[in-house]
Amino acid sequence: MARKLTIQDLKTNVWVDWCPGCGNFGILSAMYQAFAELNLDPQKTVVVSGIGCSGKIAHFINVSGVHTLHGRSLAFAQGIKYANPDLTVVVNVGDGDLLGIGAAHFVALGRRNPDIVVIMHDNTVYGLTKGQASPTLRINLKPKALPKPNIQDAVNPIGLAIAAGYTFIARGYAARVQHLKELIKKAIEHRGAAFIDVLQPCVTYDDIHTYDYYNQRVYDLQEAGWDPLVRNPEELPEKAAQALAKSYEGDGKISIGIFLINPHVSTFEERLANRLPDYLKAPPAREAIEVDGRPVIDHELFKRIFSRYIIEF
Amino acid sequence: MKTLRYILGGPQGGGLETSSEVLSWAFARSGYGVISDREYFSNIKGRHSYVHATVSATEYPKSLDYPVDIVAAMDAETVFTHFQDLREGGYLIYNVDEDKTLYSSIPSMEHDLRDRLTALFKELGIDGTLASLTKYLRSRGVRVIALSYKELLSEIQRKEGIVPSQVSRYISSIIIGAVAAITGLDPNALDQSLRRRFRNEEVYRHNRALAMLVIDTVRSQFGSELKLDEPSIKSKEVLVVSGNDAVAMAKTVAGVRFQAYYPITPAADESFTLEEYETLGGAGSIVVFQTEDELSAINAAIGAALTGARASVATSGPGFDLMVEGLSWAGQNEVPVVVTYYQRGGPSTGQPTRGGQSDLLSSVFASHGEYPRIVLASGDHEEAFYDTIDAFNYAETYQVPVIHLLDKFLANTIATISMPDFSKIRITRGVLASKGLREYRRFDMSSPISPRAFLGDYVMWYSGDEHDEYGHIDEDPVNRVRMMEKRMRKLEIIEREIPEERRYAYYGPDKPSILLIGWGFVKGAAVKAVEELNEEGIRAGYFHIRTFIPFPTNSVTKFIREVGLENVVAVEHNYMAQAAKLVTMNTGLLVSKSIVKFTGRPIYVNELVNAVKNVMKGSTREVLSYGA
Ligand SMILES: Cc1ncc(C[n+]2csc(CCOP(=O)(O)OP(=O)(O)O)c2C)c(N)n1
Ligand code: SF4
Repeated sequence: MARKLTIQDLKTNVWVDWCPGCGNFGILSAMYQAFAELNLDPQKTVVVSGIGCSGKIAHFINVSGVHTLHGRSLAFAQGIKYANPDLTVVVNVGDGDLLGIGAAHFVALGRRNPDIVVIMHDNTVYGLTKGQASPTLRINLKPKALPKPNIQDAVNPIGLAIAAGYTFIARGYAARVQHLKELIKKAIEHRGAAFIDVLQPCVTYDDIHTYDYYNQRVYDLQEAGWDPLVRNPEELPEKAAQALAKSYEGDGKISIGIFLINPHVSTFEERLANRLPDYLKAPPAREAIEVDGRPVIDHELFKRIFSRYIIEF
Repeated sequence: MKTLRYILGGPQGGGLETSSEVLSWAFARSGYGVISDREYFSNIKGRHSYVHATVSATEYPKSLDYPVDIVAAMDAETVFTHFQDLREGGYLIYNVDEDKTLYSSIPSMEHDLRDRLTALFKELGIDGTLASLTKYLRSRGVRVIALSYKELLSEIQRKEGIVPSQVSRYISSIIIGAVAAITGLDPNALDQSLRRRFRNEEVYRHNRALAMLVIDTVRSQFGSELKLDEPSIKSKEVLVVSGNDAVAMAKTVAGVRFQAYYPITPAADESFTLEEYETLGGAGSIVVFQTEDELSAINAAIGAALTGARASVATSGPGFDLMVEGLSWAGQNEVPVVVTYYQRGGPSTGQPTRGGQSDLLSSVFASHGEYPRIVLASGDHEEAFYDTIDAFNYAETYQVPVIHLLDKFLANTIATISMPDFSKIRITRGVLASKGLREYRRFDMSSPISPRAFLGDYVMWYSGDEHDEYGHIDEDPVNRVRMMEKRMRKLEIIEREIPEERRYAYYGPDKPSILLIGWGFVKGAAVKAVEELNEEGIRAGYFHIRTFIPFPTNSVTKFIREVGLENVVAVEHNYMAQAAKLVTMNTGLLVSKSIVKFTGRPIYVNELVNAVKNVMKGSTREVLSYGA
């Protein structure tokens, strides 16, 4: 790409229809800045999103956007990435979407460790369906849209990501745009599955987790001296246990920053390349499958590949 | 003789598949045509399973028929289950060591069969032991080959020095040897087939020695009494494949480079075959992605399709249901993705290892919202091969999801087919956007089929919501009408471009006096039944539906008009005669006669012939149920 990418280049002319003051604006801002600073090639970058207020984000950024189904964005993202590993794939997804209807995919992606970034808009509610409890809302809380206090307890997203095997795990806060931008950049640069839990105030439906609420509680893990890097594979159990403990920190404090970076796990694309020697050179998306309308697998090649099934007289 | 029919039976996991594979390959190597259906319970080890095969000297058979010439039993349950399948003068091969076994003491036998046998044995004066049953069979002219499996095994154990604990693994070769003996199977072909099956030299030697011992034993008593005629089929190259294999192979030829699946019977073997050949002999890479569920499978395949890779999933009923939401997204976003759909018995997990055709209406209608799709259905291994390639060509040409219907019968049936004709195979990728455009609009409205670009080529957007030409959400009513029409108009194009001859096949005489209409695996039995009926002077014809969208409306209307509506009979593997409903929907002609079978076992030629005669005598509905 000839010219340096600017934030202006990254804006589409689609009206951003989130409620004024929504935390999603901070996330969008951090995305613009991170993409611009990394100078990503818009054609080679794909934002995949799910359904919900957060899902709209795919239309607001001038890179390819795939606005998918509720709960299924990770499946789409993996199909895209495995078929064309040259693409940078960033998923933006709601907490209901990722940890409710899509939880199985969230766990499965961690096990595979593809080079995909998952950014969760964590607003503790289902925004677009008007404020029902999401899987990150703690028990007995009653944000204003709920008729009764929440009867289910919250899942710990960071803990779940650790257990599932994500190799870059962080938490950001929508109002700390510079900090979040840095997290997003590091996540994109990380080789492997990255998960960022972003605290995102929903100003319309959640009157508990407000900007004020978070401003009083968030503190930066790195400023507090936490080193998230797993230096060798043997160190993982200890490091993961400590990171997990931090994810449970109560006493009114909420940590943001990087919990864990584990660079010692092969990515899914590398695992595929081990089995398929041509995979990275000619990935599925770019392989020629025909020559002048005739299949690349012709009669002779077919006989060679499937000789076990063929009888020649 | 021209045609040989046999049943091999035994406990699931007891080596039955080996016997079947070795025999099929040996007959095929000798130049015969073979079809071999496998019936089994949803069970890994121990329940009754059997293989029902036809071997032909004159053709590649596509149908199965009863009664059979040979029942070769690994265990007593097989004899109790299948003795009625034998023709007069047929052969029973069984283990005389089990003579004292009582049918009522076999725990794996379903109580329904036990109850039926109780009634029958009482009537026939059989005391319920295997000995009394075989005595009765002898008296009815069955040629009973009583072998002591124990003696054969210990003899071979001594001769070959096999570890005693291992010797029971070789029972399959007793069956192989006995069938080979009475049919006079070419020893060279048998040897090659054994070698192919057992890549381990020692295991091959042991099996070979045992088969030879059995051949000598049986021949000295009976000779080769069911000798097949010299084969008259003249093919240079023949494939011996299951339906799953045929589709997997066709997918590699079609250029599939991404297949996502979640394990389900009877679809999973297709993905296994693809995975085994994933490097395509050095010609490329197929990513075979085992997902966490079917929701993931379809959506991953859609994602891959957006990058330009030919992508598909393989599943059956319960899995398809989970994919329907994703399929609508593909419809909304004009994504070429192929669903290979192996039907089995439902509802729910119904008869998970048995066949059926009860998901037709679901494939044609399943969706929220309206979008164009193509639905193909294959009737045999050859159709399955070519239909698979068409499925991808159609998907990309029209930018629509394609559902390719198959069933368990086809999936698990091994058949000989001619080598595909590669000169007939074309890959058409549809309209692609040119490179270097200043601006790309994925859903450009200047034609119903917008030029396609792949993720990575241009910046583009997709959304499950109604969208504008760029792919951005747009709920404007004028845009909605234009977008819906853009998509739905493809149905007219498909209707125009996919020729009527591609949508059906007809078998039988001109101007038939009775017309069977069917689809899928019905084809094999129907074609054969029609031949037999015509030989008997009944002018029957078979109209085989190969595509449900687009539907062969004109031809079916013409055929029905010619024979008269009252002489039209739907033949299907479901309760409702679903294809007949679609005939009515598309033509306005109400087909009200049907021959259906929904036991999960295939329709056999003999029962179909019989049912057609009943219909001609006035019956309007025949429910078939033959088979164990
Ligand atoms: C299968 C399915 N079920 C339900 C819905 C309805 N739905 C739309 S948005 C949404 C909630 C989104 O909440 P969340 O994922 O937390 O995202 P947010 O709107 O808060 O950003 C739901 C349930 C749907 N679109 N699809
Ligand atoms: S409902 Fe909440 S999450 Fe959705 S746009 Fe409004 S403030 Fe944001």
